Amino acid sequence: MVERREALAKMFSAKGVKVDTNRGEEYYDSLMKTMTKRLDELEKSPAASRASIQNLLESEGVTRRDFMKWASATCAALMLPSSFTPLIAQAAELMNRVPIIWLELQDCAGNSEAILRSDAPTIDELLLEIISLEFHETLMVAAGHQAEGQLANAMETFKGKYLCVVEGSIPMGAGKEWCTVGAKGETFEEHLRHVAKDAAALVAVGTCATFGGVPAASPNPTGAVGVQDVITGKPIINIPACPANPANITGTILHFVLTGQVPELDHLNRPKFDFGYRIHDNCERRAHFDAGEFVEEWGDKGAQNNFCLYKMGCKGPMTFNNCSIVRYNEGVNWPIGAGHGCIGCSEPQFWDKYAQERPMADTHFKAPTGGVEKSVDEFGLGLLTAAGIGIGIHAVSSIIAGKKEGDE
Amino acid sequence: MSYKKVERMTSFMRVNHWIVAICMVAAVITGLYIGHPYYQSFIADPAATKYVMAWNRWIHFMAAIIFDVSSIVVAYLYFFSRFEKAYKKLIPTLTNIKEFGAVLFNLLTLNRVKKFDSSHADSFNAVFFFIFHMMLVWMLLTGLQLYVHGLGSGLSAIGEWWPAMLHLATDWTVAVTGGTFMDVRISHHYTMYAILVWVMFHVYYQIWRTIFWSEGDIGIVVSGTKFVKE
Repeated sequence: MVERREALAKMFSAKGVKVDTNRGEEYYDSLMKTMTKRLDELEKSPAASRASIQNLLESEGVTRRDFMKWASATCAALMLPSSFTPLIAQAAELMNRVPIIWLELQDCAGNSEAILRSDAPTIDELLLEIISLEFHETLMVAAGHQAEGQLANAMETFKGKYLCVVEGSIPMGAGKEWCTVGAKGETFEEHLRHVAKDAAALVAVGTCATFGGVPAASPNPTGAVGVQDVITGKPIINIPACPANPANITGTILHFVLTGQVPELDHLNRPKFDFGYRIHDNCERRAHFDAGEFVEEWGDKGAQNNFCLYKMGCKGPMTFNNCSIVRYNEGVNWPIGAGHGCIGCSEPQFWDKYAQERPMADTHFKAPTGGVEKSVDEFGLGLLTAAGIGIGIHAVSSIIAGKKEGDE
Repeated sequence: MSYKKVERMTSFMRVNHWIVAICMVAAVITGLYIGHPYYQSFIADPAATKYVMAWNRWIHFMAAIIFDVSSIVVAYLYFFSRFEKAYKKLIPTLTNIKEFGAVLFNLLTLNRVKKFDSSHADSFNAVFFFIFHMMLVWMLLTGLQLYVHGLGSGLSAIGEWWPAMLHLATDWTVAVTGGTFMDVRISHHYTMYAILVWVMFHVYYQIWRTIFWSEGDIGIVVSGTKFVKE
């Protein structure tokens, strides 16, 4: 029976979000060898940045014990056996060897802000401080020709080795020339293509860079798109969410440091270890959903009792992300915990299709042809009414016609 | 004037019809609740035991799976029924097109013109039911796509093949409806309304036929037979 099931499973194995977490000793042994070799090579290479994680942790008052706790948690998050923990710690120490060029395109800089402005930086966030950030439009002091010189220099020095992190969407429609970067006036598209050309891989951070995000919301006046719609022929990792969780950014970069490769991705090019979970399935309010206990309006009894936010438009049932597990700000809280439903910010077209404070049936969507926005239920009731009127007219005229026939 | 009794539905077809009808009512009532929970659960039990949404979803899925099995059987009968092979009335041959036109003309002329043999299933009804079956297939595919989102772990009580198969069979509906999981939901909900319109017309048309043709059509779904003038 078991064999037959396994045979069936093989027959129908599709690319779902599932990650195989037990691939056997042989696989992990060879992975361990690959990673050790890669880290040894990295260790020999000169540090691209002088900041070291030890100094930084010390100055922030994080103990070695806390650091190792973080390493084992990250090990689990990357779905590796616990024997990989020392490698994770080593990789964190070597993160200053991987050069990163960070592009800021059409967005609100929210992803950079989320990392920079945190009150008590987590180890994930501290790690992003020690990465060798060769170029970051928002953060760097240099401007104009000087900044461009720095970029050219970094691209030349680390040709084919740097990670290109992109934040923000790329305007491709009419008026795209209004968004330019630098003294040469490159459009965002030219700028991205130029930097992506020699990158080892691209990491699209935040929903704007992955799927166009808020700038791409209807009517999308700038024709905004994500990185994967512009760049082809390069490995692209999408880390959506608004803002992207620093834990997910670090995890992905760490994976690259460890293996030099792109992690296993889902159908939207999102790392499965981050986006293989549905918000709804790990939600602390899930019991209230199953019980039919819903918040009916902000601040009502239900809200005070942490009832389910589905009727306030929570999109947890159709959103894949690990917020309900990892949360934000060192696991302090997350949107649903704070009393607002999920707005599905890690899904494509989230602003148009997910981010409303009402369930799908009541949401006003733009009709496919444009025009007046209607909720599905309003449209459906209109359809039923039209059918009812049609039937009524036919019935009445049939009766009249039938009578005439009888009269003859 | 004497009447002849003709068989129009086998006992299996009638049983299937009523099972589908009951399932549809159940699926609509529970589906509307899932889309927008329209009543409050004022049960004193704690959240862990009352399961109002969970029962609604259970009924919805049970109705759906019975529906699905019935659809598969009906699809089989389209081609292999020993009673009436429905596909024969769907092929756009000249006879079928003529019959389709004649039946439609009868409906539009309020029964003043009736130039076709109403003792057997006609092309118009065959096409009409085919549209219904296509909508059911669409509900099946989109519904299973929404369902498999809950099996994100890739596991299920009956093995890993089940979610894997559902992904294989239904993932394309995401791309077809607009690229997001929400589009599948919207489409699933719109199609329900289309099915309700279909049902309205279906019930009306059967009653209309019974009254104006005077051949006892409404009895087909109960007794399996109707009567035609000899």
